[in-house]
Amino acid sequence: MDFIREYYFDFGIMGDELGRVLEGFWFTIQLSVLSGVASLAWGLVLAVLRQLPGRATAPLRWLSIAYIDVFRGIPLLLVLLLVSGGLSTLSSPIGGEVLPEWLGKPTWLGQTTPFWYGVFSLTITYGAYMAEVYRAGIEAVPGGQMEAARSVGMSHNLAMRYVIVPQAVRKVIPPLLNDFIALMKDTSLVSILGAADVVFVGRAIQSEQFNGSGLMLGAILFLLVTIPLARLVDYLIARQQQKTQRGGAPAEASEADQQALGGGGGVTT
Amino acid sequence: MTEGSTNGAFLRLEDVHKSFGDLHVLRGVNMDVNRGEVVCVIGPSGSGKSTLLRCINLLEPPEQGHIYLEGREITGAKGAADDEGGIDFVRRRVGMVFQQFNLFPHMSAMGNVTLGPLKVLERKGSDVRPKAEALLKRVGMEAKVNEYPDRLSGGQQQRVAIARALAMDPHVMLFDEVTSALDPELVKEVLDVMRELAEEGMTMVVVTHEMHFAREVAHKVFFMDGGVVVEEGKPADVLENPQQERTKQFLGLVLEH
Repeated sequence: MDFIREYYFDFGIMGDELGRVLEGFWFTIQLSVLSGVASLAWGLVLAVLRQLPGRATAPLRWLSIAYIDVFRGIPLLLVLLLVSGGLSTLSSPIGGEVLPEWLGKPTWLGQTTPFWYGVFSLTITYGAYMAEVYRAGIEAVPGGQMEAARSVGMSHNLAMRYVIVPQAVRKVIPPLLNDFIALMKDTSLVSILGAADVVFVGRAIQSEQFNGSGLMLGAILFLLVTIPLARLVDYLIARQQQKTQRGGAPAEASEADQQALGGGGGVTT
Repeated sequence: MTEGSTNGAFLRLEDVHKSFGDLHVLRGVNMDVNRGEVVCVIGPSGSGKSTLLRCINLLEPPEQGHIYLEGREITGAKGAADDEGGIDFVRRRVGMVFQQFNLFPHMSAMGNVTLGPLKVLERKGSDVRPKAEALLKRVGMEAKVNEYPDRLSGGQQQRVAIARALAMDPHVMLFDEVTSALDPELVKEVLDVMRELAEEGMTMVVVTHEMHFAREVAHKVFFMDGGVVVEEGKPADVLENPQQERTKQFLGLVLEH
């Protein structure tokens, strides 16, 4: 028992290294928020492309479906290695300098290159996950809504923009938040590229002091954010269900929707 | 198509067919509606009445036959089925009200009524709002302008839906069993609004089970069964003195109650 306490909960080490660990966690937070926002936007683009009507847009639909299939099926770690390896090589003499330095080894906004490789990879991957969540939301909007929008003269695009997507997004906020929690945890993988995130710092402390308390401190910091977020998701779902039970005609399909979405919104890691 | 080819009929359906997979719902429907006329379509469930309305505003483009609106053919290659311009022509002239209201739940009554004029006709908000207020007043909803649909009764929602359709200045209004989903005590307020519209000269195609409404308001009644028009004529003739056996059967069942 003493070993466990000393190895994982050495409060002396935790106190001494708090500053460094917090710095690493701040990196994690920035990476999570930026990648999260970018994934939300990219996922919505993919979902809307996937719902385009008509024969002329079929290639766009197929591309979007293929993209989603591919990036939901590849481990994020592989994407990270492929993105970082590709971009850095293509912008160096070995790769013929196909890409300019600012794009291949970005250091925008004072962030490091591994940070941006992380943003690209997380957005590419989580965009695909979130596209599926949006799709569930779009499909959960009753068909009468599109018909009503079309019957007041709106084109498909206008109807999506002002009628379907606003309703769909409201329905899927909880599962999107779940995906965000998963994304936040997955940011830890960028440590393999040498990004100075909370895991990287924890490992450094571990190898310097032969002690896991730095890593444990990182885990605790994660929990301080992810548990309240999980509670928020629960609260939002409960509120939506309450609203459904109170009735109101447009909510007629919602109960079934909630069940469908509850299944579709599961965390994927 | 010229006005002459439809003999001046405002809306003409010629031999309209529509199938869903193996289900042949419309099997050659013919119908003429003149400007300012109120036409009621009655018939048993599954007779194709709703599909017919959905064909008229091209929510379900027919596979065969012709539909002319204001003298222009809106079906077929020259018409609209695959052509946004043609669909535009139709949807800007044809308003539709649905059985399930289909109000936009994330918008107030005002938002529902103004969305079309703002986004489709691209009118300015300052022009659209007073007109929307007037329309909501016309359907007796002036006190609920800022309410959201989930705070409105079915009858109130349906009246907002009528105002929403009217906001696009339609030339013809389609009503698809608009009182069927309502509690009995809410039916009258919706029918009254429709009656007023009819009196003001709106061209209307009304799919309904309200025989009293058909008798009092309609200029023409069409009885549909099995995907065709079985009998048509003045309400007094069709409803009180039907010639066809199927019409007699149907009315016998409906009017007993």
